[in-house]
Amino acid sequence: MSAGVEDAMNAMNHGSYRDTLFVEETEVLSHEAFPGDQYLLRLWSPECARRARPGQFVHITCDPALPLRRPLSLMRANPRESWIEILYKAVGEGTRLLARRKPGDRISSIGPIGQPFQVHPERPRPLLIGGGVGMPPMVFLADRLRQTPGMPSGMPSGAAPGSAPGEVLGTVPGSAPGAAPSTAPGTAPGRVTAWSPLVILGSEVPFPFRAQPSQFIVPGLPPAVIAAMPLLDDWGIPSRLASLQGYPGCFQGYVTDLARSWLQTLDAAALAEVEVFACGPHPMLAAVAALARDFDLPCQVSLEEFMACGVGGCAGCVVEVKTPEGPAMKRVCVDGPVFDARMVF
Amino acid sequence: MTVDSNLDPRLSVDFCGLNFATPLVLLSGCVGFGEEYTRIHGFSNRQAGAVCLKGTTLSPRLGNAPHRICETPGGMINAIGLQNPGVDRVIRDILPTLDFSETRFIANVSGSSIEEYYEVTRRFDDSPIDAIEINISCPNVKEGGVAFGNDVRMSAQVVAACRRATRKPLITKLSPNQTDIAANARACLEAGADAFAAINTLMGMAIDIEQRMPVIGNNQGGLSGPAIKPIALLKVHQIYQVCRDHGIPIIGQGGIASAVDALEFLIAGASAVGIGTALFYDPLILTQINQGILDYLDRHDLANVAQITGSLCLHGPSLPACGCESA
Repeated sequence: MSAGVEDAMNAMNHGSYRDTLFVEETEVLSHEAFPGDQYLLRLWSPECARRARPGQFVHITCDPALPLRRPLSLMRANPRESWIEILYKAVGEGTRLLARRKPGDRISSIGPIGQPFQVHPERPRPLLIGGGVGMPPMVFLADRLRQTPGMPSGMPSGAAPGSAPGEVLGTVPGSAPGAAPSTAPGTAPGRVTAWSPLVILGSEVPFPFRAQPSQFIVPGLPPAVIAAMPLLDDWGIPSRLASLQGYPGCFQGYVTDLARSWLQTLDAAALAEVEVFACGPHPMLAAVAALARDFDLPCQVSLEEFMACGVGGCAGCVVEVKTPEGPAMKRVCVDGPVFDARMVF
Repeated sequence: MTVDSNLDPRLSVDFCGLNFATPLVLLSGCVGFGEEYTRIHGFSNRQAGAVCLKGTTLSPRLGNAPHRICETPGGMINAIGLQNPGVDRVIRDILPTLDFSETRFIANVSGSSIEEYYEVTRRFDDSPIDAIEINISCPNVKEGGVAFGNDVRMSAQVVAACRRATRKPLITKLSPNQTDIAANARACLEAGADAFAAINTLMGMAIDIEQRMPVIGNNQGGLSGPAIKPIALLKVHQIYQVCRDHGIPIIGQGGIASAVDALEFLIAGASAVGIGTALFYDPLILTQINQGILDYLDRHDLANVAQITGSLCLHGPSLPACGCESA
């Protein structure tokens, strides 16, 4: 279907995800439980692992007893080892049944689906904000940023639609070793083309990892806020954790409050290099969108909605967005799940 | 245009003079405007005898507020609200992109007045579309929102209006939310329907007990999926009593998720069978249903699918006559 037809279907002028989707009979490689009904699921899924990009999701059959699939964000994808990783919280019947699946079990998965996050080299300080089950796409984005310094994750702005997939960030992981930024956000970046991301994660249940003091000093953040995600630290990416639950080393408040305190310390030149990426509960995304507006920053948000087909056929998963022509309904599955925050909030 | 099929010719069926390469029909509202599923590796529209496009109205419609869908035991409830860009844009922008050599494409016409049904049908009549399906389950704005399809008189009026607007095969999609579906089918047949699709979804509700609110933004929606299959089978059987003597084919639908399900509908009287919700479960299900039907033909030494249609052997007395004066 041409871009014009997509417009016709949605009365929109924003393209949808058109790449090939794969139905795979995946195998559970590992399935780890964490407090707060959180689970880390690793699936053998070679086709998806080869193509997945940050912000995309898979549509999986949680259990034969509940055949309608559930959309779950990707947290990591390893093309070399053919696995994808999903962090999810058991919140409903589907995810509760999924939580029972054991290593060796087969799970049908469609993927990768959806518009990925788009990073822009002219904004080399991505601010990644994840809340609760919105953390995984931020980890994925951080993973790909560290692997490919200065490269856009999707089509660069101004590129022609339908550009070669070779532009996709991280399709050849490991091709840019030693990419970890040597400077933390807020300090003068020594290399203008290197990404200097800052990741802020929030949770009101225990984090699904053992937080540790960050090895990175981030100017502009409260010195007592030192808790970080170890995986990100290992990757050389500074992160900080926020919660209202009084977890040690964490910021006592909302992710957006912590992000604001950092943004306030940046001068105009530094702010011009920041782009905000967020995934999490709807109220958090609304607050992130407002924050981005306050600082005049571009902001991409990843949304979720009840979903049936997951491939754009049923229009069941829509979100109302603002367009120059007035309100429109966009499908979260293939028109999203990543949207420009200004269209949604 | 002829469909260039690579399927076993024993699967092909004649439907109102159109050749369907297989009795499987992809249902309206499940596959967008016909191309969405083709992005899935291993899926092809060639595996379907026909594809029903998304419900189309005269003017563009935004559709309902979310949530639009939720899973229920053995099925799902949906209330999309006929989101579509309007008939003119469908004809101008979408139809030219469809590959009519792969399958038959059927327009699905909706309206909130008889005049709207007429006008949308008239515009599709002047298009390459292969056939037109009328969704008569829409509310009649002029009659206080009562669904056209739940009233025999109004159903027949819609069919008669659409009949005046087109010479293409006209399929009436019947609602199960009425007392006597056979009486409705009889009235629609006499008003000029060439075929029937049965059944549309059953109206239902799901409630979030924490919020004490309906899960669906529209409060109520249409129930589909395996849960409704027994109801759909009986309705198809009842409609077939009306259609049999007139040679009017039926697209049986409602919870078909396997070759066995499809065969049950064919035996009950359907000439073709619709796949909807099951496609959401397994996007590659068409291949296995087609194969399952072929296996059945082999096992029962049958030459083609048409020999299965209406082959039901009832317990007890034979079937009643159709009741039409013209029969």
